[in-house]
Amino acid sequence: MLLSIEPDGPVPIYQQIRDRIVEAIAGGHQPAGSGLPSTRQLGVDLGVNFHTVNKSYDLLRQEGLLRLNRKSGAVVQRDAGSGPPRPDWAHDWAARLRTLLAEAAAQGLPAEDIVRHCREAIAAFTFPVDGESGPAPVGQS
Amino acid sequence: MTTGSLSGEVIVSFFAATMCLAPAITRPTVPFGVRVPPERANAIVIRDERRAYYGRTAVIGACCIILVVLLRDHGSWWLSRIVLLLELAADFGCYLIARNRIAAVKQAERWYAGHRQVVATDTSWRTDPPRFPVRWLIPALAVIAVTVLIGALRYPDLPARVTAGGHLVPKSVISVFAIVAAQLYVTAMWTGIMLIVYRSRPDIEAADAAGSTRRYRRFLAACTRAVLTLLALVDLTLLLAALRTWQVYRSSGIGSALPVLPFAVGLLVLAAVSFRVGQGGSRLPGGHGGHGGDGPAAGTDRDDDRFWKAGLIYVNRDDPALLVGSRFGVGWTFNLANPTAWLVIAAIVAVPAGLIAISAAVGL
Repeated sequence: MLLSIEPDGPVPIYQQIRDRIVEAIAGGHQPAGSGLPSTRQLGVDLGVNFHTVNKSYDLLRQEGLLRLNRKSGAVVQRDAGSGPPRPDWAHDWAARLRTLLAEAAAQGLPAEDIVRHCREAIAAFTFPVDGESGPAPVGQS
Repeated sequence: MTTGSLSGEVIVSFFAATMCLAPAITRPTVPFGVRVPPERANAIVIRDERRAYYGRTAVIGACCIILVVLLRDHGSWWLSRIVLLLELAADFGCYLIARNRIAAVKQAERWYAGHRQVVATDTSWRTDPPRFPVRWLIPALAVIAVTVLIGALRYPDLPARVTAGGHLVPKSVISVFAIVAAQLYVTAMWTGIMLIVYRSRPDIEAADAAGSTRRYRRFLAACTRAVLTLLALVDLTLLLAALRTWQVYRSSGIGSALPVLPFAVGLLVLAAVSFRVGQGGSRLPGGHGGHGGDGPAAGTDRDDDRFWKAGLIYVNRDDPALLVGSRFGVGWTFNLANPTAWLVIAAIVAVPAGLIAISAAVGL
């Protein structure tokens, strides 16, 4: 998985790390069961304190995407093929999406541009196919 | 001619060549220790300063080599070391001139304005780490074993006083086997440093993270093999010096320079490998701006000049890294803001200092 952050950017570094890992899982680059570097190793590789990476991993653990184990380290717990999410999670996500779309509308971005951006993002991720357990890349369908 | 004076000529020539050619093996995006965006790597000021540096250092190197050859038969072995220091100081001055001019233009023209500055990594470096080439250590260990064996066989027949450190001293296990301690120290120190390098972060370019990680793997493998080869040859140099001390062979004239030969070959191997691969694999195919990744869309490597003193010494309190890639030439440098770096440096210095103190205490 390729991971890049903007150390001097406006988004907190722990949030950037968390976001990049979520995107890698969604893109099929980090499937369920695959390992991630330890917090110290990733901290060295990104030039940030390991507490920062720890915070990102803890966020992902709370979201059910990561399993942290002393023996096996950080392992991806679920991906597109792991079944539907919890109902309350989908509800929370829809609320956040609404806010995100509202930001675009408030800034005057035309609806067709918003839809185009959404399609481009969806094309880069892997989604489960209805009635099947395995994921399928939407961009290729 | 002595071994000391000849090794002085070898070292002065080696540094003359490496200091002169260092910009050619440095990453194109850090010319003279100044971080520049990839599209500025061939800026006019960089091309001009590189050309001027080659000219200046070539003249300095030629003068120093001539000087050390002229001084060969007219003084002590340390004269060549003084010439070496003068050579390095003059080359450093040339480096600073080029660095300051490039940094001034970079700042005046605001080369990083509008760039999205990022730090990139490839997690496969940790989940599928490169393996240290342990088998390449075998030649060095074999040479040490042969040294111990020959020393043990020769020990009973050695005279009551033997040569150690250039002086005649009473024969003892310590005085006879001091050279084995030197072999063990050099081998253990460099193997330890290379093991730390394997655990350190690779030099990854944001514009081509996957490609630069692949190149860094090849670079690290090639450099480690070259260093382990050099170690075996340094141990061989010490073995040849020991054999002469242990009266296994006698030499005079040009023959007295025989022990230096393996060391010189080892330096040449290291220099050739460095020139072939470049810092971080930058001279390998695809390394010279041939982006196989996302290109500028992926962001530009972060401008981290403020953490580099004179572009050579890395001091960053926020970075937990112990070793990072050098910015000038090929190799690695310590992050001096990391306390562990000072512990490692202290250990590197303390071991030979301790050995010398012990030698002095036992009357060597």
